[in-house]
Formats: sequence, structure tokens, C-alpha cells
Amino acid sequence: MSDSKKVRFVLTRFDPDQDQVPKTQEYEIPVRPDWKILDALNYIKDEVDPTLSHRWSCRMAVCGSCGMMVNGEPRLTCSTPLSDYGDVVEIAPLANFPVVRDLVVELEGFMDKFKAVKPWILRAKEKAVEEGTHRQTPDELHAFKQFSMCINCMLCYAACPVVMNSPEFLGPAAIALGHRYNMDSRDEGSRERNEVFRGEGTVFECSYANECTEVCPKGVDPAAAVNQAKLNAVVDWATSFVVPRGGGK
Amino acid sequence: MSVPANPKAMAPHRPGRTRTAPPMRPDGFPSAPRYRTYLLFDATGLTYLLAGFAVLAVAWSLGSGPEAWARALETLRSPIAIAFHVLVLVSAIFVGVRFFRLFPKAQPARIGPAKPPPRPVIHAMLYVAWAGITLALVAVLGGFLP
Repeated sequence: MSDSKKVRFVLTRFDPDQDQVPKTQEYEIPVRPDWKILDALNYIKDEVDPTLSHRWSCRMAVCGSCGMMVNGEPRLTCSTPLSDYGDVVEIAPLANFPVVRDLVVELEGFMDKFKAVKPWILRAKEKAVEEGTHRQTPDELHAFKQFSMCINCMLCYAACPVVMNSPEFLGPAAIALGHRYNMDSRDEGSRERNEVFRGEGTVFECSYANECTEVCPKGVDPAAAVNQAKLNAVVDWATSFVVPRGGGK
Repeated sequence: MSVPANPKAMAPHRPGRTRTAPPMRPDGFPSAPRYRTYLLFDATGLTYLLAGFAVLAVAWSLGSGPEAWARALETLRSPIAIAFHVLVLVSAIFVGVRFFRLFPKAQPARIGPAKPPPRPVIHAMLYVAWAGITLALVAVLGGFLP
């Protein structure tokens, strides 16, 4: 790649054993026109500086591991063409997350929020295997399908202005996933989840900036999910007075 | 240069084994163009607050005698008051447009098994309803009805 174009990368570095705060380090490397941002990071790691830490796995925008801030915007680095950028590219860890090391962020806070919405099918009484599967019509599938496309890349959290100010806010992806199960005709746990939505980190903290939807690399619409969840949580609360027990789905 | 976010943003309930650097806001927040519409939307709240005080002041003058009422009407005719009310009108239109852009996906139109109409149709219906109600209000409040 001796005659190829060179690009300067300004990367955020943070070593928890040595640094008090993150700093930046620059690398100028030869690049190929067909590279994604992740290819450049892997080149730096493999050929220039093996101490660089970054997270990635599938290289095809499915695993959601390689989300980072690229020139200030949350991006999946495996699917972001380097050719979209100029001669200087700044890469930082996802905004609004604590940083473990270099470009790697702490995921446990997200996992706590994720688990809080009970992202699995809840049934009042499980169906025996011999009774067959739970069947769904195409319309019933359509009601939640787009929300199940989330890959938990957390770009929506890095873009959300509420997340940056309200630590207790459940956030776009977790609420979208909870809403996805609430809309699933096989699920019977919406009343439980709606209690979570109305509790601490309530869906009503969302001020509908719509940034989560703008940055989603999979075309999911978390802002729609959060705002649909608001109405459902209110309706569920109101109907609980009329049908106090077992009235919710 | 990034600005620190709330230090507890996305922090786990129990601290991890390694020390972490505090979370940072996205670069350019709040000045980046991507956040401008959202912040403008939030800022319109200030114009409504001021408009609310203005309405209260005018209502107060109504109960304070004919001279006070005349002074209030004179004040409302001043260029500053007219400019302020134009600002309130622009704010209301801006919020309405943003609301109509985002509302259909927050509460998808669906009645029974019928498929909802395409989004442009829903938007058009909202704008027609908005214009109709506005015209009706202008007709009633402006005394244009026979």
C-alpha cells in the first residue's frame, strides 16, 4: 500500500492504570478506498500500535459491537465507509458511556437497563409442548417486527440528549425492546413491563428528540417505540382501576 | 471538544472491577446542527411562558378600569408587542409542524384490522384539520360569521 492515500486518525486513548482522563493519539496510515472505519482501526492495531483497544466481532453490522463516535457522530464502524470522510478522522468511544479503555465502553449499565424491561416472553401459564406452538398472523408479527431488529449497538444511547442528563432513564433500545414484547401477541407480561415504564427512568422522560431513530443503523424506530409505550403505559394504568387484576395482556 | 455528561450516565448499578473514565456528551452538543431543531423546539417553551404572562397582564388590566384597559391595548399595538406575537405565532407553527411530523409514528392510525393510510396521507389530513380549525376559530373570534 506504498502508493495509497494516507489518512490521519485521531483516536481517544485511556489507560485506567495510568491516565486520569482520556487523551488523544494520532496515527497516519495508508488506507484503501474500499475500507470501512473498522478496517483502519484493525490496521492500526495490527501494524502500528498493538496497545490500542477496540471492540468488534462480526464485521457485517449484525453483532452491534463496534459502535463508536466517528467525527462526533455515533456510527457502526464496520459499516461506515472511510471514503465518507476526509483526510482527518476522529474516533472516540461512544458518548454518554463510561470508558473502560481506549475505545471500549462499559456495557453493564446498559445491561442493567436491558434486564429491567424483561425482554423475553412472559406467560401467565406456559403451554405444554404437545399443545403446539403459539401461532401468529402476519399482522400480529408486523405489530412488533421492526422493534425486534435492534442489534443493541447502543448508538441510540450515544445520541440521546436525555441519556446524557438523566442516568435513571431506561433509554431508547431498552424501552423499544420492552415495547416489542408488549406488542407480541404471544406475550402476557405487558402489565409488568408497563409498571417498569411508569417507574424510575420512566418513558415520560423522553422528550422526543428523535435522535435515536436518526442514528439507528438498522432502521429501527426507537423514538416511535418509546412514544407508543408512553400511551400504552397510561392506558394500562387507567384500565387497572377498571380491571384491577389480570385485565392487562 | 467534548463536554462531560452526567457522571452517572449509563453507569452500572454496581461498579465494575476496573476504573472507568467518565462519560462524555456527543461532540458539539448542543451546538451541532443535528440537535438544533430539538433545542429550538425546547426553547419555544420560553415564548409560551412569556405569552402566558402577557395574557395575564392584559386580563388584569381588564379588571382595573377603562384607562388600564386602554393602556393595555395601546401597549399591544406597539412594534415590540407585535414582533413578540409574531414570534409566538412562528413558535406555534414550528411546534405544530414538528408535532405533525413525529405524531403519526407515536400513535399509528389504525382502526381494527384496516391498514393505516400511507404516512403522507396522514400528514395531509393533519394539516387539513389544522387549517380548518384555525379558519373556524378566526371566523368565530374575528366576528366574520353572520
